[in-house]
Amino acid sequence: MTTSFSRRVALRGALALSAAAFATTAQVQAQSQTEISVGWVLPLSGGSAAIGQQARTGVQIAVDQINAAGGIKALNGAKLKLVFADSQSKPDIGVSETERLIQRENVAVMSGAFNSAVTFPATEVAERYKTPWIVMGAVKDEITERNFKYVFRINNKATYDAREQLDAIDLLKKETGQGPKTLAMFYEGSDWGRSHAANVRKLAKERGYTLVLDEAAPPNQVDFSAQLLKIRAAKPDALIAAFYTPDHLLLSRQMLEQQLNLPYGVHSVGGGTEDPSFYKAISPKAVAYYFVQEDRQVDALQGERLPEFADVEAKFKAQLGYDMSAYGAQGFAVMYVIKDALERARSAERQVLRDAVAATDITAGPALYAGYQRIKFDEQGQNTFAHGAISQNLNGQRRTVWPAESRSPDTKPAWPVPAFGARS
Amino acid sequence: MDPLILSFALVNGLLIGGIYGGVALGLSLIFGVMRVVNFAHGSLLMLALYAAFWLQALAGIDPYASVVVTVPLLFAVGFLIQSVVIAPLIRRESALVVEPLSALLLTAGVYLVIDNLALMAFGPDVRSASTSLALAPLMLGPIPVNMQRLIAFSAAILAAVLLSLWLRSTRLGRAIRATAQNRDAAVLSGIDVPMIYAVTFGIGAALLGLFGSLLATFIPITPQVGLSFGIRSFIVVVLGGIGSIPGSIVGGLVIGVFEALASQFVPATSAAILSLGLFILILLVRPSGLMGRA
Repeated sequence: MTTSFSRRVALRGALALSAAAFATTAQVQAQSQTEISVGWVLPLSGGSAAIGQQARTGVQIAVDQINAAGGIKALNGAKLKLVFADSQSKPDIGVSETERLIQRENVAVMSGAFNSAVTFPATEVAERYKTPWIVMGAVKDEITERNFKYVFRINNKATYDAREQLDAIDLLKKETGQGPKTLAMFYEGSDWGRSHAANVRKLAKERGYTLVLDEAAPPNQVDFSAQLLKIRAAKPDALIAAFYTPDHLLLSRQMLEQQLNLPYGVHSVGGGTEDPSFYKAISPKAVAYYFVQEDRQVDALQGERLPEFADVEAKFKAQLGYDMSAYGAQGFAVMYVIKDALERARSAERQVLRDAVAATDITAGPALYAGYQRIKFDEQGQNTFAHGAISQNLNGQRRTVWPAESRSPDTKPAWPVPAFGARS
Repeated sequence: MDPLILSFALVNGLLIGGIYGGVALGLSLIFGVMRVVNFAHGSLLMLALYAAFWLQALAGIDPYASVVVTVPLLFAVGFLIQSVVIAPLIRRESALVVEPLSALLLTAGVYLVIDNLALMAFGPDVRSASTSLALAPLMLGPIPVNMQRLIAFSAAILAAVLLSLWLRSTRLGRAIRATAQNRDAAVLSGIDVPMIYAVTFGIGAALLGLFGSLLATFIPITPQVGLSFGIRSFIVVVLGGIGSIPGSIVGGLVIGVFEALASQFVPATSAAILSLGLFILILLVRPSGLMGRA
């Protein structure tokens, strides 16, 4: 024990000395390095594992492209090296893996972690170690409301999601002259669901809707009969749901089994309903007429695929067996935002890189693949140009109904939605 | 609260509670005979669910028909786990029963291995199977009762009755009960105890094979699905009385009904706390469980 301790002290002293001696050459060394490590914390197992795999696939495709095209040109063609860690969809594991990536793997920049419950504490660790973190997927508002200097988010925050859901309801109400008066909320009881519910609660009150049910459920349930009964008893005009894939599957199947009708439909805020593996596992009948708040306008990308992404989507499909998802696209986009920052920073040093990320202003190129027109962060690190779309599942396809200008001419929203008994 | 809604909650609770009880039968049997808490119980159910899913996806076999495959398959898996993994531990133990802690750790290891192998082999995607039988829901007033759940519930009751009868009246069943009562005396009477243990574990797992096929028609299947059932089974077994076959069903019904009724008044997150509170309360008042012999 004693020997190793003294050795460590000696080593530390030597390091300090050499650091002082070579301080002037540090900049040169950083520039000539051939690999830049990028750390990713993702739910590769646990309840959100399917989504984690999609993000990882998108990330890997982007990095292969960047490296094949000559790496980071401003750093003499340095290659990007990915270091993935599995959060198991659990906050404590996500935090310890973040520590490991930053301290041991010495990554230049971090990203992840999809689950808000993981991202929220993990970004705190990154802030403490002054390591930039580009948030992928997590929407909890507070992630970019803590005056942090190192945390950035390209995608929507929960407030945007809730606002878009109610905007879509308001739009359909205005167009048809009819719409829901009462709403029910049913959501998963961790950070994401609760954050979303809090926003809907506030907005619904402002816009004059009555909340007749406000119910959370712990993750990985095996039966929702009791909760569906509560929804039935509350008789809401529409339901707002926020669940990850397995629970959403259970909810949607049981609603079909029980023929639980809601005149103005189910409005899902994504999660499960944006996961392609969800649609592989469920009968189209169970998700007919669903409204989904999408991070990425699905039908636009099906209509006019950009040729430079045909290759990306083919690779994605070859690896996972289904079409590109919003999460694969977000992972892909994050890597191009990092590349852009590295090119401008001309350094992989964390603080320099942080300033470059903060100065990001992208209006073209693959970084916008996730579906935004611009990426520019406010002083809290939130991309204020983030937005989503609301789709309705019509004839087995998710067609954008909001915003109105993104709705294609042949999309006719079903409003109110037909009862289960009246569906063909 | 609307009496119709409450009575329907009661029906729901009975249905899901019976299913919990049925899933827990194997855990109770294995503990009763071998004093081994099988931590891998949920994982075996997960394997059975996947077996039913793949039989439908690859061979087009309806989950209900797949019972003829999943039951023997899981029996074999259980038999192997006992004779390859747990038997050496029991052989080493000179005491009357296996040290429950070391067996628990061993089966916890089995659980981790099975769950992670499933994640590697089947991937993290959520799957679902469905039956092609046209099962019209039974209408209870204006509210439908799901037939798949009713079938699984009936199977649970039937399985418990048949298992009790079999244990009471057949030669092998009596040998199992004798081994449960006293291992050494059973050996002296000429019972092949290692074989009895392997068969018991096999039967416990085969029951999961049955429920894997029955539940696959309405439960989303993921590599982690076992854990939700494993923990619940443990609560059900302790509540009903460890080793008691009827206790397993009664314990399941109590938990199911209690959660279903409580959920009508509080959110599901709090209902889980209440049912664990009930669990502690029953153990304080009746430590041997509802149907257990003190």
